[in-house]
Amino acid sequence: MVDFGRVQKELQDCNKDINVSGIRVNPKLDNLINLIGTIPGPVGTPYEGGTFKIDIDLPDAYPFEPPRMKFATKVWHPNISSQSGAICLDILKDQWSPALTLKTALLSIQALLSAPEPDDPQDAVVAQQYLKDYQTFASTARYWTESFAKTSSLGVEDKVQKLVEMGFPEGMVRSTLEVVGGDENLALEKLCSG
Amino acid sequence: MVYDSIANALIPTPASNPKDFNKKKRVNRTAKLKQSKLDVRREQWLSQVKNKGCKEENRGTDRPKTRASDMHPSNEGETRTIGKLVINRGGEENDGLMNHYSDWESPSNSPTSHTSSLASNRSVTNFTGGSSSRSSSSSSGGCYSGSMTEEDDGDDGCLDDWEAIADALAADEIKSDHNVSPEPQVHDHNVNPEPVETVKDDRVQVNRRAWRPDDAFRPQGLPNLLKQNSFPMNSERNHGCGAWGFKNAGLTPVPTTCPICCEDLDLTDSSFLPCPCGYRLCLFCYKRILEDNGRCPGCRKQYEQPEQGIATSKLARSYSMIPSR
Repeated sequence: MVDFGRVQKELQDCNKDINVSGIRVNPKLDNLINLIGTIPGPVGTPYEGGTFKIDIDLPDAYPFEPPRMKFATKVWHPNISSQSGAICLDILKDQWSPALTLKTALLSIQALLSAPEPDDPQDAVVAQQYLKDYQTFASTARYWTESFAKTSSLGVEDKVQKLVEMGFPEGMVRSTLEVVGGDENLALEKLCSG
Repeated sequence: MVYDSIANALIPTPASNPKDFNKKKRVNRTAKLKQSKLDVRREQWLSQVKNKGCKEENRGTDRPKTRASDMHPSNEGETRTIGKLVINRGGEENDGLMNHYSDWESPSNSPTSHTSSLASNRSVTNFTGGSSSRSSSSSSGGCYSGSMTEEDDGDDGCLDDWEAIADALAADEIKSDHNVSPEPQVHDHNVNPEPVETVKDDRVQVNRRAWRPDDAFRPQGLPNLLKQNSFPMNSERNHGCGAWGFKNAGLTPVPTTCPICCEDLDLTDSSFLPCPCGYRLCLFCYKRILEDNGRCPGCRKQYEQPEQGIATSKLARSYSMIPSR
């Protein structure tokens, strides 16, 4: 049986300083077992400006067992599966402690975004790219952030359409956008210069 | 004047005690035992000079009134009056005594024995204060004498049964300003347990908050400093001042709720320090963790190190589950 008293308190505490941490936890449905966590992409990383949603399922033994967390937003990161969103993080596995909370776990995930551990990868392809070609990794990660983690700004298709209307071929626009990480101004510069 | 002398002769001399005893059988058989106790106590009391003087003075003022109320002015009535007075006294004493005993002897076994001793003494004080006013206002001599003997007896009891006379005295000083309010009640009732009880409740309530370690009136006889210290914390927490533990933080702040289950920590929990890292949690969560991986949530170390906190035998037993891991 999940300790609902504690979960309730965690939700209150977490949403209290939402302006400071930017981290929020909300019930997905009307229960307190399936939750949605939201973390902002850390500043100074390819994930900056993105808002990442994380699916949280609480096991019956919570808080004595770790919450099950995975990214609902697609992320390009060595320790996060680009397919399933599974997270490779020790505190969500054997290093979990009941003293940790949903908020501290989400903070740890946020820290993981800014400090990838390519030697202990979840997604081997991404980890390889990170180690061998960091620039490509960074731009891909930025593009994914732009594409999937920014709900408020224009979607990728809108940007493509915008640039195509300017007279650039669509295939080139898409590849250029991906290279610069989805930033349409950077893409425009590159298209004009290239 | 005759009545005075007779009354004075009657009461102080031990010869009056058997007579008293016989009359009482008729009045109240059930209180026989207590009366014999009372007699012994009165003898003890009579040996105390300072109270004696005070009492005789009071008797002198009271006697004519008793007589007037009995309406037996003849010579023959003298003895009757005295006899009746004695009966009344016996009856009143018993009533008063019973109330008194039930009030201050039953809690004496409880941990709040100091409180109750103060309470009883408090009530005694109250009667002393009320007696002078009653002697002028009430027409019933029996009532008065009853209250007087009750006072004597209560006083005596305090000296006999409670070691901490100093406690009582300190309580009197504290309560002296409180004496005013319950007194009107005493006026209206004859010998009634109610004044005693209200006073007692009052006292208990006050006392619960009164004894702080730095309290000027705190009796030196109070035994366990640590325990006394922890009680106000508990009561304050019940009153909603949950941050007391943090305000009082020394080296390691004591949380008021278990960080694992978010339930309030009780006294045992908050004095329970299972890990040298100082991470506190309630016993339920502790047990749960021992059944699981047995690692401290605060530092992730195994809970096997020798304990620094209060290790009860129960906990020691639960430790035996660890080696399987």
